[in-house]
Amino acid sequence: MNIDKIMTDGLSFSLPLFIMAIGGIYSERSGVTMLSIEGFQGFGAFTGAITVVILRTAMGSSPNWLIYVATLASVLGGMLLALLNALMVIKLKSKMTIAGVVVNILAVALTSFLSSVITGAVTGQATNKIQLGVSPRYTIPYLSEIPVIGGLFQNIYPFAFIIIVVALLAWYVLYKTSYGLRLRAGGDNPHSLDAAGVDVNKIRFSAVVLAGGFAGLGGIAFTYMMANFSPSSYVGYGYLAIAALIFGNWNIRTTFWTSMFFGFSRSFSDQLVNELGMSSNYSDLFSVMPYVLTLIVLIFFSKHNRPPRALGEHFDKGKR
Amino acid sequence: MKKFITRVRSALSGLLVPAISIVLTLIVASAILLLLGKNPVEVFLGFLRGSGMVLKPRYAGGQGILTDFFSYFSILTPMIFASLGVMLGLRAGLFNIGVAGQMLFPGFLASVLVGYSNLPSYLAWPLIILIGLVAGGAMGSLIGFLKHRFNIHEVVTSIMLNYIVSYVTAFFINTYFVDPVTRNSRTIKETSRLLISGKADGVRFDFPVGLIVALLAVFVIRFILDRTTVGFRINAVGLNKYCARYAGINVGGNIVLAMAMSGALAGLAGVTYYLGFANNMVPKDLVSLGYDSIAVAVLGNIAPVGTLFASILVTIFQKGSIYMSSNVGVPKDIASVIIGILLMFSASGLYIEDKLQHLGRTVRPKRDSKTDKDKAEEEQL
Repeated sequence: MNIDKIMTDGLSFSLPLFIMAIGGIYSERSGVTMLSIEGFQGFGAFTGAITVVILRTAMGSSPNWLIYVATLASVLGGMLLALLNALMVIKLKSKMTIAGVVVNILAVALTSFLSSVITGAVTGQATNKIQLGVSPRYTIPYLSEIPVIGGLFQNIYPFAFIIIVVALLAWYVLYKTSYGLRLRAGGDNPHSLDAAGVDVNKIRFSAVVLAGGFAGLGGIAFTYMMANFSPSSYVGYGYLAIAALIFGNWNIRTTFWTSMFFGFSRSFSDQLVNELGMSSNYSDLFSVMPYVLTLIVLIFFSKHNRPPRALGEHFDKGKR
Repeated sequence: MKKFITRVRSALSGLLVPAISIVLTLIVASAILLLLGKNPVEVFLGFLRGSGMVLKPRYAGGQGILTDFFSYFSILTPMIFASLGVMLGLRAGLFNIGVAGQMLFPGFLASVLVGYSNLPSYLAWPLIILIGLVAGGAMGSLIGFLKHRFNIHEVVTSIMLNYIVSYVTAFFINTYFVDPVTRNSRTIKETSRLLISGKADGVRFDFPVGLIVALLAVFVIRFILDRTTVGFRINAVGLNKYCARYAGINVGGNIVLAMAMSGALAGLAGVTYYLGFANNMVPKDLVSLGYDSIAVAVLGNIAPVGTLFASILVTIFQKGSIYMSSNVGVPKDIASVIIGILLMFSASGLYIEDKLQHLGRTVRPKRDSKTDKDKAEEEQL
């Protein structure tokens, strides 16, 4: 069994999942039920991919730094869609779960529509697949030689470094700054926050938009792993991230471990199919693994979970 | 007579918010189309022509407006069932987002167990409907049970089940039931397809049997929700489960029951889709109808008859999109964009209502609108 491959693939899958789950944590800790990570992720990735295609066509070459422009565009794209979600939930007071699904449906519809329109206009081909270049990958010397866990340091995507830095920052902001305290109060006791003179809706608004940015970062990382973006890129990782954060009890540190659990169980089952030399039909059967695991894990852990107390409630100043 | 007038007036004011959502959607959609340099009128006509509501300029041999119209009915049928399912869940405060999976599983079972057999129609049809009810209901009650017993949010469960069902059925289709040419599942026998073929003036058409069941279901569900204790309990749980528990209602049991009914309706949508509108299955494909049905239920004011009318409208976009895109040249995904925008506006119905009240008009209060709360508070004082 190829342990290095399991390690490498597991890490490159779990880190984007982790950053998306952090987005969910930000939003849910502020009191806004978050189901639209999937949509932010896809829309962000689409924005990043389309930026690459347009810049590549304009310049006629594809330098290495394009990947960082794509990342930035993806983060902004995710935030843009999150803005819509925040507007619906906070200003228009639509139900949070329904708003989440609306945003997901809109994301899928808009990206498939726009990618057929734009790729048609830019490349002249009737396809909705946006081809991206191959991302560079790095191997850390010495560390990658360690047996068993050496795979963690081989063929790392540049996103891994970005995600780790952003995740550390996100952890610091949420737990060590006054903004983070206010954000968490927004989800647990918005009225005390209001009494302290803080605008609850503003805090929630910013949390949802940040969630969009985190999801966009995760989205572009997933997209570069598949080397192209198409509307069929929506495969439910956003929901997997939600499961990871519930399993992680709305806490960034625990969610790190749950994301790792999902990532490595996935790469393990992929390797298992390879190793046993089964036909490709069976890979469908094994693809079920993360989803079944999610359900089983939730069965055991949901009961003891403590979601933010005011999660899913619109802030109503006059409520007693 | 006076009673009649107030009833008509309240029915009309209930239509106001959906009507405004529809108008806003058409405006935004027209703006997008104008940006693309297309004539919105042409596009909307294209949708109507594709659904057999407006005459096309020309027809292939043996086909006519009736063919399109009845084929519109055969996609309308699963839409009615699916959105009724979503609606029923929402009534109990449950968000059944897994309709697509609850359609695929019964559709797969019915195809495999009955679709490929040589049973005559009069035996096959009831069996297929039964499989839809039972398999869909089982999936629904599993979701309800996990929610009730283990406190797992129904949205997460149903999405996980969606993926599990789509991968597992894909495995079985690819391994045992694949058509080597199309790579889809083998087509089912014509005798077990839920269609009655006919001919009028040399024009072929297929009448979907399920449509009768669907219309019946609308009124049965309406009766259950408005006139029976079962419906009362479901509504009570949806409005305030703590209050319902205090009143002695078994909240958990009703959650499972509502989810089972919602799943059963989704199951009926599945069999009428895969063994009526279509006659095979695409591996790993979850139909977008399952998600569109959420838009329909919300647009229909979360009421059975409203849902029926909303289905009729939304299906026009779905059915007409292929004809429209090949004749007007706008990618057919615009249909989902339009449905998404429609959903966005109808989800903001509360805000629209508030704005309308500011304008000084009387709007019938929604189930959980502010006016209800205000009234309760006044009574308390």
